Formats: sequence, structure tokens, C-alpha cells
Amino acid sequence: MKYTYSLRAMTLAGAFGLVAVAIIVRILMIIYSNEAATFRQLVETNATELRTFYPDRGEIYDRNGHLLAGNQTVFEVGVNLNTIQDPEAIALAASVELGLDFDQTLRLIKELKACSEDGNCETTDYAQSIPPNLIPADGLSLDFVVLADFVEAENAARLQQLKVAMQEKAEDGAWGVLNGLEFKSHPQRTYPEGSLASNVLGFVGREGRGYFGIEEKYSTLLAGNPVQVVVPTDPNQAIDIPHIPDGTTLVLTLHRDLQAAAEQILDEALSDYGASGGTIIVMDPRNGEVLAMAVTPRMNLNQFWNYGVIYQNASEFNPAISMPYEPGSVMKIMTMAAALDNGTVTSSTPFFDTGEILVGGAIIKNWDGKAWGQQDMLGCLQHSLNVCLASVSTQLGAQSFYGYMDNFGFGHLTGIDLAGEAAGRLKVPGDGDWYPVDLGTNAFGQGIAATPIQMLMAVSSIANNGQTVMPHVLHALLREGRQYKVPAQYAGSPISSQTAQGLTEMLNISLLNESSMALLPGYRIAGKTGTAQIPTDTGFYDDFATNASFIGWGPVDEPRFMIYVWLEHPTASIWGSETAAPVFSSMAEKTVILLDIPPDSVRQEIVAR
Amino acid sequence: MQSVTHLVHAYKIAPWRAQRQWIGGFLLAVVVLTMIASLYLDVSAQAAIAGREIQDLTSAITTTKQASADLQARLASLTASTVMEQQAIALGFEPVGPEKVEYLLVPGFSRPEPDILTSAVLPQLSAPSIPPEYTQSLLEWFAGRFIASYVQGSYP
Repeated sequence: MKYTYSLRAMTLAGAFGLVAVAIIVRILMIIYSNEAATFRQLVETNATELRTFYPDRGEIYDRNGHLLAGNQTVFEVGVNLNTIQDPEAIALAASVELGLDFDQTLRLIKELKACSEDGNCETTDYAQSIPPNLIPADGLSLDFVVLADFVEAENAARLQQLKVAMQEKAEDGAWGVLNGLEFKSHPQRTYPEGSLASNVLGFVGREGRGYFGIEEKYSTLLAGNPVQVVVPTDPNQAIDIPHIPDGTTLVLTLHRDLQAAAEQILDEALSDYGASGGTIIVMDPRNGEVLAMAVTPRMNLNQFWNYGVIYQNASEFNPAISMPYEPGSVMKIMTMAAALDNGTVTSSTPFFDTGEILVGGAIIKNWDGKAWGQQDMLGCLQHSLNVCLASVSTQLGAQSFYGYMDNFGFGHLTGIDLAGEAAGRLKVPGDGDWYPVDLGTNAFGQGIAATPIQMLMAVSSIANNGQTVMPHVLHALLREGRQYKVPAQYAGSPISSQTAQGLTEMLNISLLNESSMALLPGYRIAGKTGTAQIPTDTGFYDDFATNASFIGWGPVDEPRFMIYVWLEHPTASIWGSETAAPVFSSMAEKTVILLDIPPDSVRQEIVAR
Repeated sequence: MQSVTHLVHAYKIAPWRAQRQWIGGFLLAVVVLTMIASLYLDVSAQAAIAGREIQDLTSAITTTKQASADLQARLASLTASTVMEQQAIALGFEPVGPEKVEYLLVPGFSRPEPDILTSAVLPQLSAPSIPPEYTQSLLEWFAGRFIASYVQGSYP
């Protein structure tokens, strides 16, 4: 009995042992089989994924914290071809909510669903629209097709609600389930102010690249640095989520309300004076901060795809920095500054105007063709006498004159932090197209090309006690919770402080003497008009079309603003004194209110206390 | 007395008693292993749940940031220059001229510079690091503790 029990036990133990050994052997075979190696490789391949984290693009604010460019969520709406059930329902929903063509959408979905099932996708219209370099070597496999991108959140939400509602009805046996309709959110640039300061801001295309203005100039800063991280798909392998810093937020020197006022005044000026285009720039002469920069035409940045409709070429986007023109008599300020600083003349130096002067073999006449008789330098500026200024520049000499013009920055980029700046043209002796007569015509702003921002920078040396400021629109950077203020930069001192103050007084008196329409009651203003003929393609000047300009600053004893006005081809009057000057006055009026600049009497009262 | 001793001896060497001891030992080992396995499973499950929560929270942060940006853009649209101007005109306000502006001298007042301008200057917190309790396996924890105590013992 005992033996039998022992034998049975041994037999059972042996059998179990054999089974155990067999199981272990089988497990080992499985572990070391080729299939196992394949599975392990698959696991390793799919255990992690390389994910690129794109930081949010930095925002853009004006100097008072008003958002000028931000980000909003939009949706990519597409169809998952593996889960779609009712193509007709999806095509109908997309046509109603997204405005897509029903037939076209339905045909697209059906065609691609068929190709996803039979694997022959290369012949479809959709596949043929994909660039060959983006098609994988093992053929095109379509699982997802995009119906519409950049769909606004409200439209996407309505479509999502419809999907949920149809899903509930489908469970009750109704027809029209929207399974397969999928939504992927992503950010899109938005400009809450629409077209305000569009020339300064620029825009961001759908591929995320910045075009023009700040968006292009600081595109790298704004976009931030994408970070690629290997992320385990197994939640058990949780790792630290990397901190992806957002793109740098920029604070501009622009004053939103002043910008809006400048654009409004410019639009009214174009209407009042029949001008074809225009520019108004307001700058702080103490530090070069651009407070407003209005141009025409402008575009709604939220509809940047209209760019090609609005502009014929890139220089039209922001003429203030990228469209050089012959500025005309505003240039007389620079000629006089050079001559005063050089000691060639003083404000009381007499000049007898005969109405014409011979320079380089060519006769130069005054704007009215008349002789103004005995004058002094103040009178030359006040009456804007070409003959007088041509005489001054010839007395100064080409080397000295062009030396000063170079120091004022003509022919060079100002370095303003906006994309697309043009350098203008300052012909100098030695250049193939420079002639001796240019020394005379350049003195009153003909035969020289400058952008409005160049004129402002050059004249800032007079408004800022001899020191030239570099114009800029970036006030501060905000990054990682820290603010970095952009300091003012100066581009040298082409003239002395005494020269600057003396010339400012001369320009103030000349405005007062001629009762200029640029004057602003209560404030002492210095400035100068400019009326420039426009060269034609034939090399001669147009007899009827002009560029009307005015540059001025104030208050004279403590300048807080500089304003440059340029009206292209005004038809109501060709003269800057009758068109650009009153526009300057309107802009100056708005400026003193919005910047809280008290009248001179009030300021003097404050100082006296 | 001798018969009692024999009886006790017989009890001690009884085969069923030895078998019970073996079975008891085996069961004890099984229970211990089961407990360790359960503990390991529990820790792994907690780590997995925490990992999933982190993924969810990361997603929530992204969604919240998007919502915040959307609201900010919407607020800016609602307070845009043209909108505010139209609202002001509708309420009966009109642009002020320089002749209507009165300036008051306030001793000691100086206009603040627009240095801190936006809410974006609030410090951004970096992503919190995950404590090792949520990422270490039990074996790694044991190994860590063992190595730490070994190192401490070797280099006091």
C-alpha cells in the first residue's frame, strides 16, 4: 500500500516535472525566437516618440499695454478615413458649417476612402496634389484628409456640437452619424486692432513666417525655440515634461491712440487735399522712440492674403521707411545747419536774391521764379529761397556739404528695427551720376533721395541739441517673466548744441513771421515746409505733381515730439505750406493732448513754482 | 514515562507532520512572494496613474493657455481703438480740443514711466519635477537604498 502510494506520487511528480520543464523550454524558445526579436524591436520602436514642442509666438503690445498682435485658437477639420461611416453626412455638415462645396467634398472623401481601402492612392487628385518628395518610399497611405484649416473656434464648436447631436440621434437609429470627423486645434496670429499700425507690425503667414515690420524683423525672437523631446508612450515611464519658454513678447514704443489719430488725420488729409498717398510719423526727439507711424494704404492684418491686391510691390507696405523720395525744401534745414555749424553763415548773414544763380553750368531759380532782393539767412528759410540755399551750399563747398550730409545719415540706413528699410541715395562727387549742379539742387532737396524716417533722424540732431537719435519702435522685451528695456541709441553729433538751438529759433521765427498754417496756439513750434517736384521717367521733373512735406517739432524749449508729414501728389494745392503744414498742426494738436504736454505758459508757470 | 517519550518521538517524526512543515514553508514563501508582487504591482499602477495624470495635466495646461490667449485676443478686440471710439461717441462724448484741457499742478507728482506694461511679466513657473516615488521601480528603490547605505558605510 505504502509502495503503491509512493510510486503514484513519484509518477505524478515526474509528470508535473516534465510538464514544467516542457513549459520552461517552450517559454525559452518563445523568448529567443525570431518573432520575439521582431516584437521586441516593435516595442522599442513604439515605446517612445520624438515630439516637437512649438512655443506660442510672443505677443506684441503698444507702450501702454494694449495688445496689437496676439494668438487665437483655430482648428484643422478633417476626416479619419478609417472610422468614417457616412460620407454624405460629413460633406453636408462641412458645406453648411464651413461653406465647402458639397459635391466636391463628397467626391474627395469617397475617392480617398476607396483608395485607403484598396491601397491605390497615387492616382487620386488629392494624392497628385501632394509634392512627390513628401510621399513615402513605400507608397502613399491615406488615413486622414484635411477638409479645411484655420477654421475659427466658433465654427468648429458648432460643427462639434452637431457631431455630438448626430451621434446621439444615431444611437436612436437615426441616420447621418458624423463619425470620422475630427478636429485638431492650433494657434493662429490675430491682430485685434485690424489695420491699425499694419505697416509697423507686419503679419505672419499661415506657415508661421513673419513678413514685414516687427513680425519679420523680430521673427526669431517672437517665434521662440522649438524643442524636440523623446517622450515615452507608456505612462508608466513618465518623465519630466520639458519647460518650453514662449516666444519673446515685445512692447513697442507706439502709442496706440496716437497711432489711431495719425491714421485718421492722414486719411482725412488725403481726402481734403486729393493726395494719392501719405505718411505721418511722430517721434520723440529725445530718444528716437517712434510714437506713431501712419501710412497709406493699410491692410487688415487678419486678412493678410489680400496683400497682393492692396500692394503692387514691397516698398508700398511701409513707405515711411522703404520709399525714398526727393524731399524738397525740408532739406534746407540740413543745408542751413551745415553752414551755420561750419561758420560759413550766421542767422544775420545778408544775401541779395536776384532770383537765379548759376551752379555747375545750370541756372537755379526760386520756387516762384522771382527775385526776393535783400534777405538774411532767416529770410532765406522763411521764404524758402532755392537761390539762397544753393549759394550757401556752394560757399560751403562740396566736400564740407557732403561730409555734413553723410554725418546726418543721408545715403545710409537709419537702423530702425523694422524690416524692409531703404537707404535712399546721396550722390557725392566721384559718383558717375554726380554733376556739379547737384551741389546746388541738393541744397534744397532735389536730386537727393531720402525716406521720411531718414529725414526725421537727420533733423533730430537739431531738435535734440545736436545729437542724432536712432529711430526705433521696440521699447522692451518680455521673456521668462523678465523685462528688458531697449535703451536709446545715438548716431553721433553732426552739429553743435549752439547750432541746433540757433537754427531751431530761426525756424520758429520764420514760421511765426509767415503765419504758417503749421502753428499750434499755445505752443512754440519749429519746422519747415517742403514742396518737391517729382522726377519722371524721362529724367525731367513733372510740372504739375509735387510731394508736399512738413517737418516740425515742439515745444521749442523742451522738444517732446517731432512730426513728419508727407503727402504724395496733392491736387487741392501743390504747396506744402497749404497742405502738409495744416496736417502737421492737426497732428501736433492731437499729440499734445494725448501725451499730456501742457501749453508753454503752463509749463513756464510750473517751472517758476 | 518511557511510553510518553516514545509517543512524543513518534509524533515528531510522523511523516504527515514533516509534510505539513514543508507545505507550511512553501505556502509562507508563496504568500511572501505574492505580497511582494502585489506591492510591486501597486507601485507600478500608481506610477502609471501618475504618469497618465501628468499627461492629462499637461494637456489641460495647453488647453488653458490656449483659452487664455483666446480670451486675451477677444478682450483686445472688444477694447480696440475704433470700438472704444465708437462707444464713446455713442455715449455722447466728443474729442477734446487743447483749449478745453486744464492742467493742474500736483506737487511731487511725476508721470510713471511705462516700464511694467503687461500681465505677461508674471513669472512663469517651470514644469515641476516628478518625485522618484512615481518613477522608481521597487528594485531600483532597493538598489538605491542599498548602494546609499553601502556608500555611507564605506565613506563616513
